[in-house]
Amino acid sequence: MTPLSAHEFPVLLAFPPQGHWTQPHLALPSLLAWLRVHGYDAAQQMDLSVEAFDHFLSRPYLERAKAKATARLQLERLQSATSLGLGDARAWRAGVEAAVSADAVIERIEEAKSVVRGQDSDSDAERGFWDPDRYLPAVRTLYHGLRLVSAAHSPSELTPHNFTMRYSNDRSEEVLAASLDEDENPFLAFFREQVLPRIVAARPRVLGLSVLYGSQLVPALTLGRLVKAALPDCHVTAGGGYLAYVGKKVLGAAGVEACLDSIVFHEGEAPLLALCETLRACGDAPGVALRADLSTVGSLGWFDRREGGARATFNLPAHPIKLDDAPAPDFDGLPLEKYFSPRLVVPYDVNRGCYYGECTFCTLPTVIGPGYRTRSAETIARHTLELRDRYDTTHFNYITDCMPPGLLQELPERLIALEAGITWWADARVEPKAYTPEGTRLLYESGCRKLLFGFESASKRILKMMMKGQSLRSVEEVARNCAAADISVTFYAMVGFPTETREEARATLEFLEKCAGVVREVSLQTFHIDEVALTYREPERFGLRILDDPGADLALYHDYEADSGMTQEEAAQMFEELMASFRQNLPLFNGDNVFYFMQKSHYFLHLAGTPERAAETPASFETRLRGRRETRLARVADGGVRTRAGLASTPLTFSYRAAIELLAHPLARAARPDFLTGRYVGDAEAAAEARLPRLTPKASVLVYDGASAEFVELRPDGLAVLRALQQAGSLEALAAHASAAGRQRLETFATELLRLGILLPAADTLMPPARGARDSSRHASRTHESEPESQHVPQS
Amino acid sequence: MSPKAESQGASGNRDESRTGDAAARAEAGHQQDQSAPSGAPGADLDFESLDLTIETVEERISPSETNVFDK
Repeated sequence: MTPLSAHEFPVLLAFPPQGHWTQPHLALPSLLAWLRVHGYDAAQQMDLSVEAFDHFLSRPYLERAKAKATARLQLERLQSATSLGLGDARAWRAGVEAAVSADAVIERIEEAKSVVRGQDSDSDAERGFWDPDRYLPAVRTLYHGLRLVSAAHSPSELTPHNFTMRYSNDRSEEVLAASLDEDENPFLAFFREQVLPRIVAARPRVLGLSVLYGSQLVPALTLGRLVKAALPDCHVTAGGGYLAYVGKKVLGAAGVEACLDSIVFHEGEAPLLALCETLRACGDAPGVALRADLSTVGSLGWFDRREGGARATFNLPAHPIKLDDAPAPDFDGLPLEKYFSPRLVVPYDVNRGCYYGECTFCTLPTVIGPGYRTRSAETIARHTLELRDRYDTTHFNYITDCMPPGLLQELPERLIALEAGITWWADARVEPKAYTPEGTRLLYESGCRKLLFGFESASKRILKMMMKGQSLRSVEEVARNCAAADISVTFYAMVGFPTETREEARATLEFLEKCAGVVREVSLQTFHIDEVALTYREPERFGLRILDDPGADLALYHDYEADSGMTQEEAAQMFEELMASFRQNLPLFNGDNVFYFMQKSHYFLHLAGTPERAAETPASFETRLRGRRETRLARVADGGVRTRAGLASTPLTFSYRAAIELLAHPLARAARPDFLTGRYVGDAEAAAEARLPRLTPKASVLVYDGASAEFVELRPDGLAVLRALQQAGSLEALAAHASAAGRQRLETFATELLRLGILLPAADTLMPPARGARDSSRHASRTHESEPESQHVPQS
Repeated sequence: MSPKAESQGASGNRDESRTGDAAARAEAGHQQDQSAPSGAPGADLDFESLDLTIETVEERISPSETNVFDK
């Protein structure tokens, strides 16, 4: 049989959950463009991460999740317990949140999605996305929707930025078990019901899975297993940053051959093309692809099945591509309307690797590698304009470890000369000669609105150990020049570098506090050691002893003991201390404003503006956020307060606040891997359970307001007052018989609830009624805020 | 996500029996809400002695979510 031509050969690239949700990731569009310029016109791509978020955050799915959560969590048993340990506290929290918020979240989920996506109005100026009082409740509603999804699969937890299960990512046995767990792996049913039929219909000969983060590992293997069972002649390969670290271990683990056929290491373009060429040449007779000789495909690890069984085999590295010859990424086929953002911010890689490449903690250039390569300013500008016109957007995220100084001069000049009319943001390295007052003004004129610098520490000793090659003076100078040009500055910072003391970490904090008003965001991380890092290869140089866990056959990150400085646990505590300061001193971290930090492109879009809406400066945006609550409080003086329709409440036998504090403890957090590394300490859950105090009973009430999407814990007295206020109709009427002291306490209580959005100014609304509510007689009386209040007494 | 607790208008620690009374009153109030309430709303509430503590949960990011790139 004649092999298919390249343009007929079906290749499918898929981005498994859980990954980016506000914008598409660059990986698959880069690979797709490369395949298509080499003739693979039938290649397609799917973002299953954003599809899953969209599917889960829908009324029908959440209705099912509510029922499943109710059955699964057995809240009555937990509520009647005499005390709760960590695991039970996690389930109890999920149960009470679901009990009090599920109906409101279900009712408002579609409206919330439309607000965050900018699909709630034809007029850009009227879109709720731009109004914090509408945007923040909408984002919270989405987060709470995912909590309901998580409750249905407890103890698994899916957030916009992470997916974790009780299984360890460090152990192949657990990872494979997770891929088969019908109760706790929400992606199993999603893939089988929503995705697999489409893949089977497309009959790809190659399925490529992009695994950038630890949070994608289990879902990727889940999908790979399903596809291999349904389409035995489809070659399932995977690649991406996370597998660049642990791929060799993954292929060496028993059982993975049921989920994957190969793994591409490092840069994917050339190996993926070679893989397709080789498989295409094999023809399409049944079983041929499975037994193909793939030994000539560079940078590939694969299961050699030619002699029966599956022998993990690793080929020599492929030559890197010449980046400047690579095409612009191709976003065709991605569900652009489903990303949780009103505007597409196009990711585009200006270079790969790092021109500096000396930092002792950083291994990113290794996994993106090999080597450092850049596109020319001419190519970048040309591709930018192509993408601008093709996708009708003027917003770009230039993907780079750091912009080299020469490009920082040439690229802005070209963009300005071409009248590109774009806005962009990027990571950057502190280069005093580039970020001068003139240089930063040029950058702003070219559209630069935000730069993220690797600051890391204010300790000269630590900076020297890190080999950062930058002085604090230059850091401050660069940041001030950017701020003066209205470019928002973010600092990456690190706590817990080997031998770092508390005092040194606090010196970093003091420096950052001094920079408030210049530095708008701090992206703080705790230090950890991967197997590629210098700190792992030469631990004695840093005074470290690496702790190996022989059972963790997929381990990427390692625990360690240090001769001096903070322990890992102390570093985790210091993280909390720094974050507490940021919440105080950085407006973007204060209260729920932090959602702007966490949805990075959303803050950027405020700085970028749109054709219909003027851009804001970092300072003016912060001022607007600061004024938000004061404005609301000022309105109360005029007309008093009123209760909201649709407040829901549920009685608690334990304190909600105490439960959340317990779950936020560093020991409790250590039991859950983070999204990037998937690091999971095997016995952390048991250790935390043993060391942390148990929750003891306390009568309380959890109130949820669907409009503000706020959880608030009251004492039963507080709920009684809320109900009385609802009956009385006004604070004045309720306080008519109160003493002066009682009236004062009542007003304090009401003012705080007003600040939280649980109560409303007498003549005000925060958010229009949910669209879905207009069609739902069942819920209508709980959402129309204009209706008489007497029917809306908070109910359990 | 994790919390920051704040208290406003707290009357100090109340013993559990009084809290239980309030819960009972709240429940009774709930029952009344379903039928015809009698008397001035809140007339039976002594605002000076009620426990009006409010515990809020402020969004707090964890190490797993701080370096989120554009996720």
